[in-house]
Amino acid sequence: MAPDKPTSLVTVTLPSGATLEDALRKLGIGREAVDTDYGLVDLHNGTYALLVTEAVAERVHGMPGAQGPYANPKIEPFGPPQARPDED
Amino acid sequence: MRVLIQMKPERDVVEAVANPQLTATTQDVAGSMPGVEMDQSFTPVALPRPLPSTGGGDPLSLTQSLRFSMRPEDATVMVRGEIHDYDAASRLSMLALSRPEIVGISADPVIQTSPTCPGDGPVGTSQDVKNFFAELGADDLDGNGVAVAITDTGINTQHLINELGHPVTVDAARSWNPPGVPGRPGQFPVDHGTMCAFDALLAAPKATLIDVPVLLSQAQGPTVMSGLLSDAVAAYAHLWSVLETMPDDKRALVVSNSWGSFSPRWDFAPSHPGNYSDNPGHPFNLMVTALESAGADVLFAAGNCGLDCPDNRCEFPDRPIVGANSHPRALSIGGVDTRGHRVGYSSQGPGRLDANKPDICAYTHFEGSHAFGADAPDSGTSAACPVAAGVVAAIRTQWSTNVLKPAELRTLLQRTADDRGAAGFDFDYGFGIINVPSIMDALRRRSKNGHGTRR
Repeated sequence: MAPDKPTSLVTVTLPSGATLEDALRKLGIGREAVDTDYGLVDLHNGTYALLVTEAVAERVHGMPGAQGPYANPKIEPFGPPQARPDED
Repeated sequence: MRVLIQMKPERDVVEAVANPQLTATTQDVAGSMPGVEMDQSFTPVALPRPLPSTGGGDPLSLTQSLRFSMRPEDATVMVRGEIHDYDAASRLSMLALSRPEIVGISADPVIQTSPTCPGDGPVGTSQDVKNFFAELGADDLDGNGVAVAITDTGINTQHLINELGHPVTVDAARSWNPPGVPGRPGQFPVDHGTMCAFDALLAAPKATLIDVPVLLSQAQGPTVMSGLLSDAVAAYAHLWSVLETMPDDKRALVVSNSWGSFSPRWDFAPSHPGNYSDNPGHPFNLMVTALESAGADVLFAAGNCGLDCPDNRCEFPDRPIVGANSHPRALSIGGVDTRGHRVGYSSQGPGRLDANKPDICAYTHFEGSHAFGADAPDSGTSAACPVAAGVVAAIRTQWSTNVLKPAELRTLLQRTADDRGAAGFDFDYGFGIINVPSIMDALRRRSKNGHGTRR
């Protein structure tokens, strides 16, 4: 079974100037459950985004002041366009 | 959409259409129809009625011996016109109900030579694109003092200087790398991001580039050039901070995004509250709103999933302009070649967050940066997006966001676009092709009328 890496995107409502430690306290989780390189991202609407493990994301779901998980899809450049095999 | 309308008018009108010695106009045949812009230049055509050759034949079958009757009591007449793309299915139903003499309505697709597709050679050059925008430079709209963020695979400044033949400024202090991504601003390998930067500088050669290599994220992804949307969330938070440090009267940040998602497999289902593609409440879509509200001009490529020759990676079964690429507060940019023809891979609307996408088209598939080799064009809506971003940056040279808000600028670009395809907005070209002479006329009128002052 693949390790549960912190790639699930969740948001949490926190006061202005909040830190990752504030988010961890609010969610009741440890640093091992989050992507600390990604950190806490201010969405400038009173909420902050962070990446957590899937297990934590499921636990966070429905918690007051927390939302998610949100899709974190792969993004790719729109070029150069690649021909379909039958168009080569 | 363009439509062919088959009608059964009065017998004498059918006779007049069918008889080459007589003249009957579209007005004679159809008069005016609610919600339809009739093409009065089109000469109505009489259509014969297919009938079974033998008595007792199936009147509804075409797989039998037939004869065709042009007798006035049998023949019908065809005229043509356009109806609005918006809610076309309902409009067609209402049209058929409104006029009982209508016996059929069908699409009237544009017939043209094969569109430009993936793998085709370049159509025109970057000099052609510059020529379209020459009026900007004549009025000193060159991007001086305007920041253009290229959120992509990183920029190679030396390649840009070599290809453009003039100095290029990358602002290292305001650039940003995703966590774990090594490399210095302006010193990334020549790739997609360098192409985008080159194309942005065509209209705004003196713009200051902000290098945001969001697609080089080391987070999981099956290809070298792919990131995760969470990296873009963090990038936009950084750009928001950049914008906040600009004084109101100098505020000008253009954000060019030539990327997106090709597959619903990477997203939650549309019914899931955490879905991205269809959900304006997704954190990234909220960040687009926040950045635009703070004064940024945000442009997204419409994508390369056009029906004629879609990119091999396209997996959305329909409505491929998804998520932020269809954001109502962003300009969604489709692609045309330098002849003004939509490239066959340019994604068509409706968009998922905002149906009226793409907004406008800009030039692509021209010989330009040589980022992918000497013979490879700057292609995809990837190139069209920064081309348009360059025009926006040029405008911002003298029109900051406190005198011309991002929403006003989007409206200006839509209103002045060179209309193509169906009249008005359509899902192929949006409002049309970005049109610098018309933009300049509008800005001069605006200035003359005292609506805002220049920077």
